[in-house]
Parts: sequence; structure tokens; C-alpha cells
Amino acid sequence: MPVDLRCAAFIALATLVSAHGMSEKAIAQEATGAPLQLAIDSSPAGLDPHIVTAFNSVAIVSGTIYEGLTAIDKDLQVVPGLAESWSISPDGLIYTFKLRPGVTFHDGTPLAADDVVSSLRRVQSKEVASPLASRLVALSEALAVDPLDVELKLKEPSAPLLAALAGIAIVPRSMEANKEALQKTPIGTGPFKFEAWQPNGFILLSRNLHYREAGKPKLAGLKFNIVPEAATRAVGLESGQYELLPQVDAATALELKEKPGIKLSQTLELSDTVIGLNVARPPFADARVREAVNYALDRQAIIDAALFGAGVPAGPLSPVLKSWARPVADFPCYRHDPQKARALLEEAGIAKGTKLVLRVLASRQDIKDIAQVVQAELGEVGIGVELANEETGQFVQDWRNGNFDLFASANAGGVDPDEFLYRTFHTGGSTNVFRYSDATVDHDLEEARRLSDRTERKAIYDRLQMQLACSGPIVAIAYGTLFSAARAELKGYEIMANRSLVSLRDASLSP
Amino acid sequence: MKLPHDRVLTFATVLVAAEVALALFAPWVAPYDPLSQSIVARLKGPNAMHLLGTDQLGRDVLARILFGMRSTLLDCVLAVGFALSIGGAIGVAAAFLRGWFERLAMRVMDVIFAFPVMLLAIGIIAVLGPRATSSTIAIAIIYTPIFARLLRGPALVICEAEYVAAARAIGASPWAILIRHVLPNLASVILVQTSLALSSAILVEASLSFLGLGAQPPMPSLGLMLAEGRNFLALAPWSAVFAGFAILLIAFGFNLVGDALRDRLDPRLAKA
Amino acid sequence: MLRRLVFPRLVDLVLVVLGVSVVAFLMIRLIPGDAVAIMLGANSEVTPQALSELRERIGLDQPFLVQYLRWAFAALHGDFGTSLWTGRPVAEEILANIWPTLELTFLALAIGAGCAVPFGCLMASRRGRGTDIALRIGTVLGLTIPSFWLGIVLILAASRLLPGFASLGYVPFAENPLGNLARMAMPAFALALPILAGLSRLIRSAMLDALGQDYIRTARAKGAPERVILYKHALRNALIPFVTYLGISAGYLLGGAIVVEEVFAIPGLGRLILGAISERNYPLVQASILMVTVGFVVLNFAIDVIYVVIDPRLRR
Repeated sequence: MPVDLRCAAFIALATLVSAHGMSEKAIAQEATGAPLQLAIDSSPAGLDPHIVTAFNSVAIVSGTIYEGLTAIDKDLQVVPGLAESWSISPDGLIYTFKLRPGVTFHDGTPLAADDVVSSLRRVQSKEVASPLASRLVALSEALAVDPLDVELKLKEPSAPLLAALAGIAIVPRSMEANKEALQKTPIGTGPFKFEAWQPNGFILLSRNLHYREAGKPKLAGLKFNIVPEAATRAVGLESGQYELLPQVDAATALELKEKPGIKLSQTLELSDTVIGLNVARPPFADARVREAVNYALDRQAIIDAALFGAGVPAGPLSPVLKSWARPVADFPCYRHDPQKARALLEEAGIAKGTKLVLRVLASRQDIKDIAQVVQAELGEVGIGVELANEETGQFVQDWRNGNFDLFASANAGGVDPDEFLYRTFHTGGSTNVFRYSDATVDHDLEEARRLSDRTERKAIYDRLQMQLACSGPIVAIAYGTLFSAARAELKGYEIMANRSLVSLRDASLSP
Repeated sequence: MKLPHDRVLTFATVLVAAEVALALFAPWVAPYDPLSQSIVARLKGPNAMHLLGTDQLGRDVLARILFGMRSTLLDCVLAVGFALSIGGAIGVAAAFLRGWFERLAMRVMDVIFAFPVMLLAIGIIAVLGPRATSSTIAIAIIYTPIFARLLRGPALVICEAEYVAAARAIGASPWAILIRHVLPNLASVILVQTSLALSSAILVEASLSFLGLGAQPPMPSLGLMLAEGRNFLALAPWSAVFAGFAILLIAFGFNLVGDALRDRLDPRLAKA
Repeated sequence: MLRRLVFPRLVDLVLVVLGVSVVAFLMIRLIPGDAVAIMLGANSEVTPQALSELRERIGLDQPFLVQYLRWAFAALHGDFGTSLWTGRPVAEEILANIWPTLELTFLALAIGAGCAVPFGCLMASRRGRGTDIALRIGTVLGLTIPSFWLGIVLILAASRLLPGFASLGYVPFAENPLGNLARMAMPAFALALPILAGLSRLIRSAMLDALGQDYIRTARAKGAPERVILYKHALRNALIPFVTYLGISAGYLLGGAIVVEEVFAIPGLGRLILGAISERNYPLVQASILMVTVGFVVLNFAIDVIYVVIDPRLRR
């Protein structure tokens, strides 16, 4: 039959082709020039380190292509980066950084103090409109004292500055006024340099032969394949087509755990999933109602259902920040107690059957599932909630305009507590979309920012966490477990709580 | 006509009738409330209590499938009905009136038709916000030009036919001609095309909710169950597998009805 | 005379393209949440003032009509603007994503059309018998299997049956022909299935239709062999609907293979446009939708003209 013949011929062709595809792949692996194959879920929005803020963009460029004056190690401590050392004046207003000698940018120009100064200016400039600008609010002036010394003058002492500088990439001074170039062709000082970007296809980085640490990186390069479907990424890792999946969801992690030749690593994450409450609108203007929401929620059940058990309930600060975060046992309202919740609601005079809208950031499955459980649990205590699943654009707009009763979303935490707490809870803070305003909280936040003594800061943050956990505008749900899955041949890669891929600098492929 | 393909028609009709009945009576047939969660009983395989197992939040998969079928069918029938009445009216009017109306109306239809189906749907839903009604509207808009184009051709043939010319000659009113001559002769085309359109609309609806653009959680929806279930396919395949099967089954039923009807009603095919 | 036939269609074509450009332009702008808001993201720390400055620079503060005319004027001169996000010329971004789509479209049509002809003939020649019924049910299944489901099933099946088979992503044919075909086989099959099913049904009906016509009876009466009747006379009757169906499918594949592209990680136009819509990358959405629809309209226009040329009966 002609039919069968044609289709059979096609199938034969496909099988033949696949056999060849395999052998070719094997040959490519033999040659040392093959880059590490990574699979990530979405295209970055751009590669300019001062403009992009999305997790996936930052992970691709930060610590790989770009470096900052300081760096964050895997224990989330501030360590030297491009600056080999620094000193702080006794009043905390002048920071002096000493740059490493002999560092060059990928385009061959040597790194000098001027590049640092112009990079900081670039972040602060109106023209570039960098979202990172607020991290440098305290900075009044940066000066190049000599080619390897930079002086930063502050308006007021700023404890989080060193951590913030780790996130500010140093770029060549020629880029200061150029807003477009780095978005498509990044130039940094990092261990890998940019080669090619095929939109929706891949981003290819190659080894920086002139990296400041001799002998590193060992990998010939990094190829970030953009693979939207989780099942496809998992299959690609199993077949060996991909060698590292930097991020794996909990369900896929459970599945991959059993597979031979695959190594799974995990850590608790720095960011958390949250329910936000609008304190500028009736029911949540009352602190008792906010507290009632806490009692109404069964955090462990939510984690089991939405995160496949991979996560821990936590307060305003991630437990990853061991030296800052208070244990959740300290927060009385974290007990699941619907009875108490109903009593508080009654006390606040909230009528049964109140109808509220919960806006859900629908791009994440875990958040959609969390919202569904939250809806059911709030329903139990008489708060009727309707879910509005919103696509990112719509969500961000409503969020920014404070147009919500409740929302379900994720919060990126910072390495220093100030980073997240100040902008979120201070009156008029840049991400205080809840219109939360509390005089003691404001005072504490300002105080903690000025102090440089860690124990004194800790005492203030302890107090703040107590207050914010139960009656703040954010109901923290859970800090999830991050998983990475890699082929066993990949050595030296370490997963980090802030999703950074900086450890690939030290990684190698050995069969 | 006692041909074997009648058996196909009978089979298809029974299948569709059963599906429609299940969907219609879902609130009475379903063993559980499709929204009630039980976190401890999550991701359980098919068992005596939950015939098709439970999903990630411990909801009964069977109940969710029945309600999902109900909402899918309801949305698609509404959307296709709308497209048929608007698009069909435009197509028939174009054939009947000819002239500038035909040209203008058909060009507008061409503009809509030129967009790839999924892209147009995604765009419309993005404008209206993702929810079940938006996907119904999107599907209705997508199918409007399809019906206009499908019905204009046969309507043209009928309008040019001798008996219509005769009716015109004896001074019958345009409405009378439309109702007495044009529509009855279009009935079989409409029947066939509507069932085929329903079948493909069900797939479009499922793809849209698969992409998160149709019915929204916690409402049960087949495409959404498939989309969510594929995240834990290896751990608990049932919710995705059964939801996929349900989509296939309803789309299959309507398509088979359309196919069998066409085979039977088309006089030109019957002669062979 | 040909000019009299082609010219009005050409005018219609221009009108349709114009309509499409207006609809695409308005649609993307009516979506709530503009590019600037999204660009800054949920965790940004930017002041409303910075927002409005950014908006001004991109030109979003202008009235729609001004924005449209500016864009249309530039587009007529071949300038489609630059991507709001990457700053690359839009034409460059589209070009980078067009080859996988063109190749997939071609392969899916070739597989679909190649297998549909024998299937259709077989069904028509065995009408009402077991083979016909089985194949008909098969084609209905082919038309109604959700492609997103089929894609995932194919990938999982391939990983079990052919472990180590590098089947994901895209490599250009010129770079690695075998690797390219290996990666295209499964997505092309997933896309070809409904086309195969639809076309074979169409061929079946068209052939059955022809078999009932007088000229076939005459041919039979004259003793022409059944094979000649089937393949030469009856099959020819299927030509026009066959080509029409191919034209529409090509248009559908050019922009509609989104889910299959996602599942197989192929950087095609569908994903490009979907991503551009969710990022509100206005210039990219406008240009790529315009390109896809113009491709579709022109293709179908060409098919229309060819009909008129071949078949004098259509010249009414």
C-alpha cells in the first residue's frame, strides 16, 4: 500500500536520523570546547544589569558576565568582589574601596576607578531609570581617588550599602550614557563573556580567557537553552541533552531524585510567597482583621498542597538569613486557630459573608495553588474571597496602584534585612503598595539603617519582625525549597538561596 | 438508506447525547463538590471513594471532570451559537444582497480570518482579562468569519437558483424568499458545520485554558486540569490523563456526528 | 481580462492588510498594563516620575492615532522599529525566529499532504466498508487529539523508547542537517496529524462527489480501468479544495504552533509573538502579527488567482 510505504519510510528516516544525532552529540562531548548546557524556562527581558530585574535575567548575567565591587558567597555573606578590600570612616559616611589590579573587561580595556564611578552614576541617572537606583539613595558622590581607589561619600550612614553593591554590576565607562548597547551585548569583567543570543532559543557565553583568577573558569562556556515546558527540561536532562537545570519545581525534583546519573541539590530560598493586604481599605485597615487572617491560615497544609511539602513557614525574613530571622515559634498568630480568627473578626465587627477580591499572580503555579487553599481557609472563618488570576502586566499595574483587597504573589528578599523591610514597610516606601504607615515601624527602620553595630541592629529587627508578622500588611506564607538538577558529571556547582549561578565559575565537567 | 455508515451516525449521536446528559446533570451526578478540598487526601490514585482519584489539592477528579465538561460545553455552545447567528447572517445577507454590502462585510470577515486562531484568541483575552467569559467571546469572534465564509457559498448557489429567481419574479418579499427558500436549503450545511465547529471550538477552549486563559481556578476546567496535572505527571498522572481523555471524547463525539451527518446529508456524496 | 479579475482582488488585499494592521495595533494597546509598567516589574523601586519619563521616551504618551500613523509611515519605509526590551531592530528579531517556523510549516504540510492522498483514495475506494470506517474514525481522532497533549506524550514516549535521543530545541539545517531533522521530526508530526486527518477526509468527500458525477459514469461505461478513474478523474476533483485547505493550514501554522513550539523548545514565531504580547513589546507584536497575516493573505490571494487562471468557471 502506498500509504504505509510513505509513512514507514518517514519513520525509518526519523530513526536513522536519531541514531546519527546521538553519535554526533557524543563527538561534541568529547571535544573540550563544548559549553555547559543549561535549560531555563523563559527568555530574559534583556541583559543590561542595571535595567533588568527579573530573576531569570539576573541569574544569567550576575556573577557570570558581571561582577560588583563586593560579592555574596553561598552563606549569603558579603565578600570581596572587584574590590579586594575596603575601609569605612568612623562616622560611617566615607567608604574607600581598593580595586584588584590587572582586571580587564571582556572588550580588553582595563578596569579602573573611573569605570566604578561611572557605573554608579549610570545607576543613579534619570536617563537610564535603573530600578536599582533606590539601593544607592544614601550615596551622594563617588570619586576616583587614583586608578585603583574609589571613594564613596554618603549623605547618612547606610548599613546595607555593602550588600547592595554586590548587586550593582561594574560596566565600562563608555556605557554610562548608552542605554541600548548592554541590553543586547553585555560587557563585564566576569568569568564568562557574551557570545550570542537567539531570542527564544539560547544565550551562549564563552570562557573569559583573561579572567582575574588564573585557571578559572574551567567550563568552556555556558549555553542557556530556553525551554518553557518543565517536562521537556526534565526529559532533556535525563537524555543528557541538558546538563544543568538551575531551577526545578518540587514535583519534578521528586521525580528526578530516583533517576541514575542525576544529582539533585537543594536549599531554602531567600524569597517567599505572600498574601498582601491593603490597609488603605476597610476590612484590613483594622489590625485585628489582619491578625485574624494569620490565625485562619494553616501554613503547613498550604505548603503540603501547593509546594509538595518543599518549604517552611516563616516570618517577614527568610530563615536563610540565619543571623537575622526569628524562629516562627515566636509568632503567636502562626498557630492555625480558626476559632480565634472568628473571634477577632467578630470583635472587629466584620460581618459574615464579606466579599473580597484576591488578585493572583497567575504566572506561577505554586501561587495559584496557594491562592486556592487560602480562599478555602478564609472561607472557613467567614471571609468570602473571590480569586482574580491576573497575567503579569495586569497584576503589576493593580499592585503598583494599590488596586486590590488582597493579593497573592512572591517577594524577593534581600541579603540585608533593610533591603526588603525598608522599601516595603516604611511610609511611602517604593514597594509599600499596601499604604502601610506606622510611626514606630518607620522610626525603627530608619534607626536600623543608621546603626552599624550588628547586635544593636538585630535587636531592632527582632522587634520589627514581631510587630510585622502578625499585624503587618504582608502575611508571609512560606519560603520554598529551591532545587537544581544536574548530570553527575558536573562538579563544583552549588545552588544558592538567591538563585545566583556564581558558583559555575568554579565548576567543571568530568566524566 | 441502510448503509453501514448509519451505524457511525448512531454511535456518534449516542456518544454526544451521553456526554451532554452527563454535563447537564453534573450537579446531580457528581459524587462530590468539585471545589471542596482535602489536603490530606491529595494526589490519591483511583479508589473506591474517588473513582478517578484526587488532584493536588485533594479535590475529586471525577467531579471536576464532570463540571469541567459542563462549563466547556456551555461556553462552546454559546460561542458557536453566537458565531453561527452573526456570521451566518452576514454570509447569507452578503449572498442575498451582493453589491457593496457583500464586499464590505466579507472584507471585514477577511480581516478577522487573516489572524492565526490562537493569536487572535490570546489577544482578545489579554484585552478582556483571562476568564471563562473572555474565552467564550474570543471563540465567538474567531468562528464568526468562518461561518460567514462557509454559508455565503451555498447561499449564493441557492440565491442564483431558478426557483428563487422565479419567486423573485412573482414579487415575493425578500424575507419570504429568505425564510421559505434560502434557510431550509441551508439547514443541512448548518447542521454539519455547527457540529464540526463545536468540535474544534472545544479544542480551542481547551488549549486556551491549558495556557491559563480560560476558566480560572478554582473553577474546574478540563484544559486547566491538564495543564496543572502535567506538572506532576510522573507522580500522579490520573488528573491530567483523565482530563485529556475527556477533552478528546467530547471533541471526538461532535466531530464524528458532523462527519457522519455530512456523509449522509450531502446529496452529492449520496449518489456514489 | 486577467487584469480585470486580479485588480479588484488586489484592492481587497490591500484593504485587508490595512484592516489587520489597525486591529493588531489597537489590540495590543487595549491590553491593560503597558510596556513600561511591565518592564519595571513587581519588585522594582521606581518613582511615578521615572515611569512617565520612560513612557514619554518610548512615545506611549502620544494619542493612539499619532502613534499609529507614525508607525505605519515608518513601516511603509521598511522600518519596523526596535524591540522595546532588547533594543534590537524588530526585523532582526523576527528573522531570527522565522526559519524554524517556516521549516516546521513546510514539513508539517509535506507530511500531511503526502500521507493524506493515499489515505483519502483508500477511504473513497472502500466507502462504507471496514477500512473506510476505521480510517474515518482514525481521521476524526487525528483531528481531535489536542496538540498540546500529543506533544507531551510524544516527548515522554521518546524519552522512554529512545533514551539519549537529542530531540529538543532547534539547530539550523545548514549547521547540522541530521540533528535538525531529528529535532523537527516529532513537532512536525504533531502538527501534521490534524492536517493529514482533515485533508484525507476532504479528499474522500471530493472523490466520492466526483464518483457520482456523469463524466465518471461515462468513463466507466467506456471501460476505463478503475484505477485510472479513481486517480485521474476523481482525484483531480479534489485539487481545488485540497490546495485551499493547504493554504489555510499554512497560515494557521505560521503563527498558530505556539503550544507545540513551547513543548519542543523551538524558537518560532508563535512563541515570539506570545512573549511579545505578554511583555507588551508593541513594535514587535505589530510587526510580527502584520507579517504573519500578510503572509497568509498573500498566499491565499495567490491561490485564488491561480484558480481563476486554471478554472474558467470561477470567472464569474
